[in-house]
Amino acid sequence: MAGTAVADASTRQRSPRRGRPATPTVTRAVVIAALFLFVLLALPQLMTLYYVDTMTQVAVYAMVALGLGVLVGRVGLVSLGQVAVLAIGAWVAARLLFATSQPFPLVLLEAGLITMAAGTLLGLPALRLRGLYLALITLMFAGAIAIVLDTTNFPNGGHGFLGYNGSLVHIPPIRRPGIAASDPAYFRYSVVVAALLFLLAFVHIRTRPGRAWAAIRQSEPAAMAAGINTTFYKLWAFALASFITGVAGGVYAGAVHYLYSLDFPAQDSIILFAVVLMGGAYSLWGAIVAALLLEFLPALLQNWGVSADWLTILFGIGVVLTLTTAPAGMADQVPKDLARLGRLLRRLATSGGGAR
Amino acid sequence: MPSWPDFQPFIVSGLALGGVYALSGVGMVVLYQATGVVYLAFGAVGAMGALIAWSLINAGAPGWAGWLVCVVFSALVTLGYGMLFGPLLAKRDPLVKAAATLGLLLVLFGVMDLLWTTSGGESRAITLPTDNSGFGVAQVQVNWTQVIGLGLGIAIAVVTAVFLRYTKLGTAMRAMANDREITATLGVPVRRVEAAAWLGCGVLAGVAGILLADMVALDATTLTFLVIYTLAAALIARLRSIAFTFVAAIVIGLVQNLLTPISSVGNYNDMTPFVLAAVALLAFSRRSVVSRSREEA
Repeated sequence: MAGTAVADASTRQRSPRRGRPATPTVTRAVVIAALFLFVLLALPQLMTLYYVDTMTQVAVYAMVALGLGVLVGRVGLVSLGQVAVLAIGAWVAARLLFATSQPFPLVLLEAGLITMAAGTLLGLPALRLRGLYLALITLMFAGAIAIVLDTTNFPNGGHGFLGYNGSLVHIPPIRRPGIAASDPAYFRYSVVVAALLFLLAFVHIRTRPGRAWAAIRQSEPAAMAAGINTTFYKLWAFALASFITGVAGGVYAGAVHYLYSLDFPAQDSIILFAVVLMGGAYSLWGAIVAALLLEFLPALLQNWGVSADWLTILFGIGVVLTLTTAPAGMADQVPKDLARLGRLLRRLATSGGGAR
Repeated sequence: MPSWPDFQPFIVSGLALGGVYALSGVGMVVLYQATGVVYLAFGAVGAMGALIAWSLINAGAPGWAGWLVCVVFSALVTLGYGMLFGPLLAKRDPLVKAAATLGLLLVLFGVMDLLWTTSGGESRAITLPTDNSGFGVAQVQVNWTQVIGLGLGIAIAVVTAVFLRYTKLGTAMRAMANDREITATLGVPVRRVEAAAWLGCGVLAGVAGILLADMVALDATTLTFLVIYTLAAALIARLRSIAFTFVAAIVIGLVQNLLTPISSVGNYNDMTPFVLAAVALLAFSRRSVVSRSREEA
């Protein structure tokens, strides 16, 4: 008796209620737009400069996490060297900003394109490697780039190809765009850039490349049998991820004004991978969650006087737990768990009503 | 271009380091063969063991006690991780298993930075009594630590090869590398064999940790990422052959050290493992490798 009551109740709830105009897609778009406007306009006012700088870093690393998410979540290629790619992007942007007087957006674009070329070139031979070997090679690449950066350093206004003058006493800061010189303004600028890149990734995922990537991730032999040029689409994923990370590097360079090789240690690539896994590599929201974990939490802890090492430990535990229990990460798991909780509550409510 | 006598000490140090990379590589390869896990936390666990040994020695404990604690610590942590997470991830892709060891790496890394910070600019060092005594070979000074490094590398490689071939446990490990399910069906106690592999690997991690802390530096980051050298050697051997791992490790150690006195190369000699491993992997995978169908993302 109670069973049929529950069934009736759930059927009633599933049928569309009259007078309900919004579809889920429109609602979601409105929510995203509202969130974006809030972050863009209101957030800088609500925070101290310390947190504004932190949120700029969140924007930068959201882009990096987005690139890695495309590789890991969409195509199934694990890269443990994305922070090295970020360093390359920052290097190129700094070199261009010092050597030329091009407008900042153009420099960002160029940094993205050059990093994209580098990433595609490096990805070309690496494509023949199986997933595990690719991951390990990218790990070694991260270590190698860290060594190279230690020797070549970052451009600091000097001449020559490397643009580094070791004997400069007064190092000029990396310039920012004219409209975004102050920290809150630069934060807004980076949020806009990030939004554009998220849009770029979104468009990719919803059109042919995204479908090809999904097919490749599911089963590469089947995708090839279906006529998909897997090499081309894998390279495209590398190219997109490298482009996004390269632009992020440019934004990072403008944010910090001074670049040091200490900013890009090899372990950061591993931590980035860990938080992208935890945040969720399979959704675009996961990239934002990952960036918040990576940059906002440490800043918060530092403000409270707690060492950031606790976070490293937490992320280590988190990645193991995520891999063993929730492979799709928090951005996927939390809504699922909340939905399950919602269903449970609904069932309790309606069964209580039916029994009466 | 430096002259021949300038290179000679680097041949010695290259062989010694190569020996330590070899014994680490052998541990990694055997563990991968038995469990499918690429133990990326190998360096981190040895590093923490070495730091614990340093603390104990600093507090007045005798040297041998410190090193013993290092080896025991590494063995226990590795065994604990293996027993806890090995079965949970047993059916997953090797990539997932390797990624999980990254979690262990991060935990150890965080703990090391917390307990043995380097922000104060302090540097630590471990010295073994064999550092100070040595002998001369053809105008080069060789200390006993270097002999131990190379000697242990050779010994571990030979013993492991013999062990895998001729003992029951070794054969069981090779069987599990082939097919874990069928091996279990045959009545082999797979959990115990895996435990043995994890334990052996952990012991080697501890030994390598002490030796590398002495030969290179007692620094958490350096030692943790020295695993990349070991990894390169293991990858060049396709994670399969003990002999190739040994040879690759010696070559990597030699090349990296021999490039040191060449000033035009500078610090780029540290890129040796990456370059060698990349070249070897690409040369070996000339045939197009298509990944198998993934059951889960």
